Amino acid sequence: MGGIARSYSEGDPVAPLVKEMTQEAINLFEGSAGHSEPSQFTDEEAARETLGTSGTVASGRMSISFALEMMRRHFGGDVFNHTGTVDLRFLRPVRPGDTITFTGEVTGTSREANGLKVNVKIEARNQRGDTTAVGAGSAIVPNAYLALEE
Amino acid sequence: MVEVDNRVPLDWDALEVGEVFEKFEYVLTQQMIDEYRWGVMDSEAAFPTISHKVDVRQFNAKYSDNGSVNARCAFHCYNSPVPGKKLTVTAWVADKYLRRDKNYIVTEATSVDEDGRLIDRVITHELKQPWEVGKKWEG
Repeated sequence: MGGIARSYSEGDPVAPLVKEMTQEAINLFEGSAGHSEPSQFTDEEAARETLGTSGTVASGRMSISFALEMMRRHFGGDVFNHTGTVDLRFLRPVRPGDTITFTGEVTGTSREANGLKVNVKIEARNQRGDTTAVGAGSAIVPNAYLALEE
Repeated sequence: MVEVDNRVPLDWDALEVGEVFEKFEYVLTQQMIDEYRWGVMDSEAAFPTISHKVDVRQFNAKYSDNGSVNARCAFHCYNSPVPGKKLTVTAWVADKYLRRDKNYIVTEATSVDEDGRLIDRVITHELKQPWEVGKKWEG
Protein backbone atom coordinates (compact mmCIF):
# COMPACT_ATOMS: atom_id res chain seq x y z
CA MET A 1 0.00 0.00 0.00
CA GLY A 2 1.41 3.41 0.88
CA GLY A 3 0.09 4.88 -2.39
CA ILE A 4 -2.40 7.65 -2.94
CA ALA A 5 -5.64 7.01 -1.07
CA ARG A 6 -8.49 6.21 -3.40
CA SER A 7 -11.85 7.91 -3.38
CA TYR A 8 -15.12 6.94 -5.09
CA SER A 9 -18.32 8.96 -5.46
CA GLU A 10 -21.62 8.57 -7.28
CA GLY A 11 -21.35 10.03 -10.76
CA ASP A 12 -17.64 9.39 -11.15
CA PRO A 13 -16.97 8.43 -14.77
CA VAL A 14 -14.97 5.34 -15.67
CA ALA A 15 -12.51 5.87 -18.51
CA PRO A 16 -14.07 4.49 -21.72
CA LEU A 17 -12.61 1.51 -23.53
CA VAL A 18 -12.76 1.18 -27.33
CA LYS A 19 -12.35 -2.11 -29.17
CA GLU A 20 -12.25 -2.83 -32.91
CA MET A 21 -13.90 -6.19 -33.47
CA THR A 22 -12.33 -8.36 -36.15
CA GLN A 23 -12.94 -11.91 -37.31
CA GLU A 24 -9.32 -12.66 -36.42
CA ALA A 25 -9.94 -11.55 -32.82
CA ILE A 26 -13.08 -13.70 -32.64
CA ASN A 27 -11.19 -16.69 -34.03
CA LEU A 28 -8.40 -16.23 -31.46
CA PHE A 29 -10.91 -15.93 -28.63
CA GLU A 30 -12.71 -19.10 -29.67
CA GLY A 31 -9.48 -20.94 -30.49
CA SER A 32 -7.93 -20.11 -27.14
CA ALA A 33 -10.30 -22.60 -25.55
CA GLY A 34 -9.88 -25.20 -28.26
CA HIS A 35 -13.22 -24.45 -29.94
CA SER A 36 -12.08 -25.35 -33.44
CA GLU A 37 -15.34 -26.64 -34.90
CA PRO A 38 -17.30 -24.22 -37.12
CA SER A 39 -19.69 -22.15 -35.03
CA GLN A 40 -21.87 -19.08 -35.24
CA PHE A 41 -18.80 -17.14 -34.15
CA THR A 42 -16.33 -18.38 -36.72
CA ASP A 43 -18.29 -19.64 -39.72
CA GLU A 44 -20.82 -17.69 -41.81
CA GLU A 45 -22.76 -20.80 -42.81
CA ALA A 46 -23.06 -21.94 -39.19
CA ALA A 47 -24.22 -18.45 -38.21
CA ARG A 48 -26.86 -18.51 -40.96
CA GLU A 49 -28.11 -21.93 -39.86
CA THR A 50 -28.11 -21.32 -36.11
CA LEU A 51 -28.89 -17.63 -35.77
CA GLY A 52 -30.34 -16.71 -39.14
CA THR A 53 -27.81 -13.91 -39.49
CA SER A 54 -25.96 -13.00 -42.67
CA GLY A 55 -22.58 -13.27 -41.00
CA THR A 56 -20.75 -14.28 -37.86
CA VAL A 57 -21.20 -12.59 -34.51
CA ALA A 58 -18.88 -12.21 -31.53
CA SER A 59 -19.56 -14.17 -28.38
CA GLY A 60 -21.11 -12.11 -25.60
CA ARG A 61 -18.22 -13.35 -23.51
CA MET A 62 -15.91 -11.10 -25.53
CA SER A 63 -17.99 -8.14 -24.36
CA ILE A 64 -17.68 -9.46 -20.81
CA SER A 65 -13.90 -9.58 -21.30
CA PHE A 66 -13.86 -5.94 -22.48
CA ALA A 67 -15.99 -4.82 -19.55
CA LEU A 68 -13.63 -6.66 -17.20
CA GLU A 69 -10.72 -4.76 -18.76
CA MET A 70 -12.42 -1.38 -18.35
CA MET A 71 -13.22 -2.13 -14.72
CA ARG A 72 -9.74 -3.52 -13.99
CA ARG A 73 -8.15 -0.36 -15.39
CA HIS A 74 -10.38 1.75 -13.15
CA PHE A 75 -9.92 -0.15 -9.90
CA GLY A 76 -6.50 -1.71 -10.51
CA GLY A 77 -5.85 -5.40 -10.91
CA ASP A 78 -4.86 -5.73 -7.25
CA VAL A 79 -8.46 -4.95 -6.31
CA PHE A 80 -10.58 -5.91 -9.29
CA ASN A 81 -9.02 -9.32 -10.00
CA HIS A 82 -10.02 -10.44 -6.48
CA THR A 83 -13.35 -8.73 -5.87
CA GLY A 84 -14.64 -7.61 -9.27
CA THR A 85 -17.90 -8.51 -10.96
CA VAL A 86 -19.47 -7.73 -14.32
CA ASP A 87 -23.04 -8.55 -15.32
CA LEU A 88 -24.18 -7.68 -18.86
CA ARG A 89 -27.34 -8.18 -20.89
CA PHE A 90 -26.68 -8.46 -24.60
CA LEU A 91 -29.06 -6.36 -26.64
CA ARG A 92 -27.63 -6.44 -30.16
CA PRO A 93 -25.12 -8.63 -31.97
CA VAL A 94 -21.52 -7.44 -32.19
CA ARG A 95 -20.06 -8.27 -35.60
CA PRO A 96 -16.63 -8.19 -37.22
CA GLY A 97 -15.95 -4.63 -38.33
CA ASP A 98 -17.81 -3.06 -35.40
CA THR A 99 -16.15 -0.55 -33.13
CA ILE A 100 -17.47 -1.01 -29.61
CA THR A 101 -17.12 1.66 -26.93
CA PHE A 102 -17.60 0.68 -23.31
CA THR A 103 -18.47 3.38 -20.79
CA GLY A 104 -19.10 3.30 -17.06
CA GLU A 105 -20.25 5.52 -14.24
CA VAL A 106 -20.21 4.97 -10.49
CA THR A 107 -23.79 4.66 -9.26
CA GLY A 108 -23.13 4.34 -5.55
CA THR A 109 -21.09 2.86 -2.78
CA SER A 110 -21.88 0.75 0.25
CA ARG A 111 -19.97 -0.52 3.25
CA GLU A 112 -19.08 -4.20 3.24
CA ALA A 113 -17.30 -6.27 5.85
CA ASN A 114 -14.15 -6.22 3.75
CA GLY A 115 -14.16 -2.70 2.36
CA LEU A 116 -16.19 -0.31 0.25
CA LYS A 117 -18.31 -1.80 -2.50
CA VAL A 118 -18.36 0.48 -5.53
CA ASN A 119 -21.15 -0.09 -8.04
CA VAL A 120 -20.78 0.92 -11.67
CA LYS A 121 -23.30 0.99 -14.50
CA ILE A 122 -21.86 -0.21 -17.79
CA GLU A 123 -22.97 0.38 -21.36
CA ALA A 124 -21.52 -0.70 -24.69
CA ARG A 125 -22.35 1.01 -27.99
CA ASN A 126 -21.33 0.32 -31.55
CA GLN A 127 -20.08 2.86 -34.11
CA ARG A 128 -23.69 3.70 -35.08
CA GLY A 129 -24.53 4.59 -31.49
CA ASP A 130 -26.66 1.48 -30.96
CA THR A 131 -26.46 -0.05 -27.51
CA THR A 132 -25.08 -3.58 -27.74
CA ALA A 133 -24.95 -4.38 -24.02
CA VAL A 134 -25.97 -2.86 -20.70
CA GLY A 135 -25.38 -3.91 -17.16
CA ALA A 136 -23.41 -3.33 -14.05
CA GLY A 137 -20.18 -4.12 -12.37
CA SER A 138 -18.67 -3.74 -8.95
CA ALA A 139 -15.52 -4.01 -6.92
CA ILE A 140 -14.86 -4.07 -3.20
CA VAL A 141 -12.02 -1.71 -2.38
CA PRO A 142 -10.23 -2.66 0.87
CA ASN A 143 -10.39 -0.07 3.65
CA ALA A 144 -6.60 0.16 3.62
CA TYR A 145 -6.77 1.73 0.13
CA LEU A 146 -9.34 4.39 1.03
CA ALA A 147 -9.11 7.95 2.23
CA LEU A 148 -9.89 8.14 5.97
CA GLU A 149 -13.27 9.88 5.60
CA GLU A 150 -14.62 7.01 3.51
CA MET B 1 -14.62 -43.34 -37.49
CA VAL B 2 -18.12 -42.03 -36.86
CA GLU B 3 -18.66 -40.54 -33.42
CA VAL B 4 -21.80 -41.68 -31.63
CA ASP B 5 -23.90 -38.87 -30.18
CA ASN B 6 -25.03 -40.10 -26.78
CA ARG B 7 -26.60 -36.82 -25.79
CA VAL B 8 -30.16 -36.63 -24.54
CA PRO B 9 -32.56 -34.40 -26.50
CA LEU B 10 -33.30 -31.42 -24.27
CA ASP B 11 -36.76 -31.43 -22.68
CA TRP B 12 -37.05 -27.93 -21.28
CA ASP B 13 -40.08 -28.80 -19.11
CA ALA B 14 -38.35 -31.80 -17.58
CA LEU B 15 -35.01 -30.06 -16.97
CA GLU B 16 -34.45 -29.76 -13.23
CA VAL B 17 -33.16 -26.56 -11.70
CA GLY B 18 -30.33 -27.61 -9.41
CA GLU B 19 -29.05 -30.40 -11.64
CA VAL B 20 -25.30 -30.59 -11.07
CA PHE B 21 -23.17 -31.83 -13.94
CA GLU B 22 -20.18 -34.12 -13.83
CA LYS B 23 -17.06 -32.16 -12.86
CA PHE B 24 -14.87 -31.02 -15.71
CA GLU B 25 -11.08 -30.66 -15.47
CA TYR B 26 -8.58 -29.00 -17.75
CA VAL B 27 -5.11 -27.51 -17.61
CA LEU B 28 -4.91 -23.84 -18.51
CA THR B 29 -1.78 -23.49 -20.63
CA GLN B 30 0.28 -20.37 -21.32
CA GLN B 31 -0.64 -20.73 -25.01
CA MET B 32 -4.34 -20.60 -24.12
CA ILE B 33 -3.73 -17.46 -22.09
CA ASP B 34 -1.69 -15.83 -24.87
CA GLU B 35 -4.30 -16.57 -27.55
CA TYR B 36 -7.06 -15.26 -25.32
CA ARG B 37 -5.12 -12.05 -24.65
CA TRP B 38 -4.53 -11.55 -28.39
CA GLY B 39 -8.20 -12.15 -29.06
CA VAL B 40 -9.41 -9.59 -26.53
CA MET B 41 -6.51 -7.22 -27.27
CA ASP B 42 -5.56 -6.96 -23.61
CA SER B 43 -2.06 -8.07 -22.61
CA GLU B 44 -3.02 -8.07 -18.92
CA ALA B 45 -6.33 -9.90 -19.22
CA ALA B 46 -6.46 -12.04 -16.11
CA PHE B 47 -9.38 -14.39 -16.68
CA PRO B 48 -8.92 -16.40 -19.89
CA THR B 49 -11.23 -18.96 -18.31
CA ILE B 50 -14.21 -17.08 -19.72
CA SER B 51 -13.49 -18.18 -23.28
CA HIS B 52 -13.72 -21.82 -22.17
CA LYS B 53 -17.48 -21.44 -21.62
CA VAL B 54 -17.24 -23.95 -18.80
CA ASP B 55 -20.67 -23.17 -17.42
CA VAL B 56 -22.38 -24.56 -20.53
CA ARG B 57 -19.79 -27.14 -21.51
CA GLN B 58 -21.18 -30.03 -19.47
CA PHE B 59 -24.74 -29.00 -20.27
CA ASN B 60 -23.92 -29.21 -23.97
CA ALA B 61 -22.13 -32.51 -23.43
CA LYS B 62 -25.26 -34.02 -21.89
CA TYR B 63 -28.10 -32.41 -23.86
CA SER B 64 -28.66 -31.87 -27.57
CA ASP B 65 -30.80 -28.97 -28.72
CA ASN B 66 -31.06 -26.37 -31.47
CA GLY B 67 -28.25 -24.28 -30.08
CA SER B 68 -28.49 -21.13 -28.04
CA VAL B 69 -27.52 -17.52 -27.82
CA ASN B 70 -26.06 -15.76 -24.82
CA ALA B 71 -28.62 -13.29 -23.48
CA ARG B 72 -26.94 -12.32 -20.24
CA CYS B 73 -23.70 -13.22 -18.53
CA ALA B 74 -22.26 -12.40 -15.13
CA PHE B 75 -18.65 -12.97 -14.16
CA HIS B 76 -17.16 -12.86 -10.65
CA CYS B 77 -13.39 -12.60 -10.20
CA TYR B 78 -11.68 -14.17 -7.19
CA ASN B 79 -8.12 -15.10 -8.18
CA SER B 80 -6.54 -15.02 -11.62
CA PRO B 81 -5.60 -18.52 -12.80
CA VAL B 82 -1.97 -19.62 -12.96
CA PRO B 83 -0.68 -21.16 -16.21
CA GLY B 84 -0.03 -24.88 -15.99
CA LYS B 85 -2.44 -25.46 -13.12
CA LYS B 86 -5.32 -27.89 -13.43
CA LEU B 87 -8.74 -26.30 -13.01
CA THR B 88 -11.78 -28.17 -11.77
CA VAL B 89 -15.16 -26.84 -12.83
CA THR B 90 -18.44 -27.52 -11.08
CA ALA B 91 -21.45 -26.47 -13.14
CA TRP B 92 -25.17 -26.70 -12.52
CA VAL B 93 -28.54 -25.54 -13.81
CA ALA B 94 -29.23 -22.44 -11.74
CA ASP B 95 -32.61 -21.46 -13.19
CA LYS B 96 -34.91 -21.65 -16.19
CA TYR B 97 -37.63 -19.23 -17.22
CA LEU B 98 -40.03 -18.26 -19.95
CA ARG B 99 -40.08 -14.66 -21.15
CA ARG B 100 -42.16 -13.45 -24.09
CA ASP B 101 -42.77 -17.09 -25.07
CA LYS B 102 -39.05 -17.77 -25.27
CA ASN B 103 -37.18 -20.33 -23.20
CA TYR B 104 -34.13 -19.42 -21.20
CA ILE B 105 -31.79 -21.65 -19.22
CA VAL B 106 -29.41 -20.26 -16.60
CA THR B 107 -26.23 -22.19 -15.93
CA GLU B 108 -23.67 -21.38 -13.28
CA ALA B 109 -20.16 -22.65 -12.68
CA THR B 110 -17.25 -22.17 -10.35
CA SER B 111 -13.63 -22.94 -11.16
CA VAL B 112 -11.08 -23.99 -8.53
CA ASP B 113 -7.43 -24.70 -9.20
CA GLU B 114 -5.39 -27.69 -8.01
CA ASP B 115 -4.23 -25.72 -4.96
CA GLY B 116 -7.80 -25.05 -3.90
CA ARG B 117 -7.86 -21.39 -4.98
CA LEU B 118 -11.29 -20.22 -6.08
CA ILE B 119 -10.76 -18.67 -9.52
CA ASP B 120 -14.08 -17.37 -10.78
CA ARG B 121 -17.82 -17.84 -11.00
CA VAL B 122 -19.81 -17.41 -14.18
CA ILE B 123 -23.58 -17.27 -14.64
CA THR B 124 -25.08 -17.37 -18.11
CA HIS B 125 -28.64 -16.92 -19.37
CA GLU B 126 -29.02 -18.69 -22.70
CA LEU B 127 -31.93 -18.15 -25.04
CA LYS B 128 -32.77 -21.55 -26.49
CA GLN B 129 -34.31 -20.17 -29.68
CA PRO B 130 -31.15 -18.76 -31.28
CA TRP B 131 -32.87 -18.01 -34.61
CA GLU B 132 -34.63 -15.13 -32.80
CA VAL B 133 -31.38 -13.18 -33.30
CA GLY B 134 -31.73 -13.29 -37.08
CA LYS B 135 -35.47 -12.64 -36.94
CA LYS B 136 -34.92 -9.54 -34.84
CA TRP B 137 -31.81 -8.06 -36.38
CA GLU B 138 -31.79 -9.19 -40.01
CA GLY B 139 -35.40 -8.32 -40.80
